[in-house]
Amino acid sequence: MKRKAGRKARSARAKRPRPVRTAAKTTPETSIDAFVAASAQALGLTLDPAWHDSIAFNLRLILRHAALVDEFALPDDAEPAPVFHA
Amino acid sequence: MLETAAGDFTWDSAASIAAAVAAGRVGATHIIEATLARIRERDPLLNSFTAVTERRALARARALDEARARGERLPPLAGVPFAVKNLFDVAGLPTLAGSKINRDLPPAARDAALIERLEAAGAILVGALNMGEYAYDFTGENIHDGPSRNPHDLDRMSGGSSGGSGSAVGGGLVPLALGSDTNGSIRVPSSLCGIFGLKPTYGRLTRARTFPFVTSLDHLGPFARTTRDLALAYDAMQGFDPDDPVCADRVAQPTVPHLDKGPDGLRVAVAAGYFKGKTAEAVAAVDSVASALGANRDIDIPQAERARSAAFIITASEGASLHLNRLRTRARDYDPAVRDRLIAGAITQASLVIKAQKFRRWYREQVLKLFEKVDAILAPATPCTAPLIGQQTFKLEDVELPVRANLGLYTQPISFIGLPVVAVPVPLAPLPIAVQIIAAPWREDVGLRIAHALEAQGVVAAPRPAL
Repeated sequence: MKRKAGRKARSARAKRPRPVRTAAKTTPETSIDAFVAASAQALGLTLDPAWHDSIAFNLRLILRHAALVDEFALPDDAEPAPVFHA
Repeated sequence: MLETAAGDFTWDSAASIAAAVAAGRVGATHIIEATLARIRERDPLLNSFTAVTERRALARARALDEARARGERLPPLAGVPFAVKNLFDVAGLPTLAGSKINRDLPPAARDAALIERLEAAGAILVGALNMGEYAYDFTGENIHDGPSRNPHDLDRMSGGSSGGSGSAVGGGLVPLALGSDTNGSIRVPSSLCGIFGLKPTYGRLTRARTFPFVTSLDHLGPFARTTRDLALAYDAMQGFDPDDPVCADRVAQPTVPHLDKGPDGLRVAVAAGYFKGKTAEAVAAVDSVASALGANRDIDIPQAERARSAAFIITASEGASLHLNRLRTRARDYDPAVRDRLIAGAITQASLVIKAQKFRRWYREQVLKLFEKVDAILAPATPCTAPLIGQQTFKLEDVELPVRANLGLYTQPISFIGLPVVAVPVPLAPLPIAVQIIAAPWREDVGLRIAHALEAQGVVAAPRPAL
């Protein structure tokens, strides 16, 4: 009985969604960490776990710079300069 | 005039060497032999060379001496030794670009276009120079080859990423070197090593047969110990080249004939706001140059800090795109500091990069308007003098900043829109620091003319190190 109950309990836990617990722990830091891992995987980049903090640090630095650019209002018809001419 | 009859050409300019060779006062072979001996003697201290092309250099020198013996007129840089950052293709050598990975490449089949142009002008390549890995660097440190060292204090950084170029010219190994500048990699080593550097207008000098970093920001240019040498080299390298897709199809505009015109009539202003120096040495350097030029007007370069940020994002993303496949297959062979920046760049969202490119066009339009009111703008080249090798951070107004990312604080907003800049060294004690003379696109002549006048006044000079 005990075993069955235990199985039942494990099974119930496995099926039970855990959004509340996950959401409560999601912070900008954990989302960056998750983003690094998922993006690297999507691009086929194999990361050594030891590199993770440094990559996340550099990504945060890029995002801080990006925020400064992003907050600057440009008109909708602003053209990018992908082929740049001086 | 050559320094000694015995042939210690350590501190002679390219112009004086070429004049002596052309006049037959000294043979090109003698110059090259002395240069090679000096490299053997001093480079163990400076660590600026990664390859010395001895046999090739001596063969070219002998050919020049033979041409002179036949009565032929020698070209303007005859017998001038020069070296190149090791991202330039040199026939017979793998193009390292400061990396371990590129050591596996086959040797280059042909020289980079700018090497061919300098050699057509009589200069003689003596080797390839150390650099920060894949040019993603402002320090001059290299995990594979060791750091190139500052000739004024061997414990200090040369600056990067063209660190070997700064070290070799500042240390008197060669009077002329070539480097690349994506975000400041000519101007930062010029500043820390106390030499002159020219980052021309984007698209002015061909980049054919060099290893790229961020193609929409990559420039090539010369380092020297005098303005005249910069101008001589620059003039020899100008001209359209279909082998570089962004090389401008413009008529060459020689600058040497304009050098002696002086700064009269030129409107010079000092960059305000973001560019105001935050250390005593940066302030002193700009003040001394501005005072000598009578430049008492400040000008605001709008949104410069944002421009630097946009350059930062484009660099990270475009640089990462270049390396994506190598990051998949050989990530462990990179310098970790470079690898982790590149991986972060690889996963940066495209929407942010495109926004930075849109901002770039807006910023360019605003800055070009300034040149309706002024001919040149002065700004510090680096926030401080050379940090110690291995130093991770420095303080600016009590804010601790990473060295590697921030030595180019003042150079990035300028190269971002491809403006030509002459970096001029102010010989402060104990360490030099440079000022940027920023001109309108295609007006390298303005920057060189001002630099030459400052040099004549003794305000700027390449200080000779006590090596």
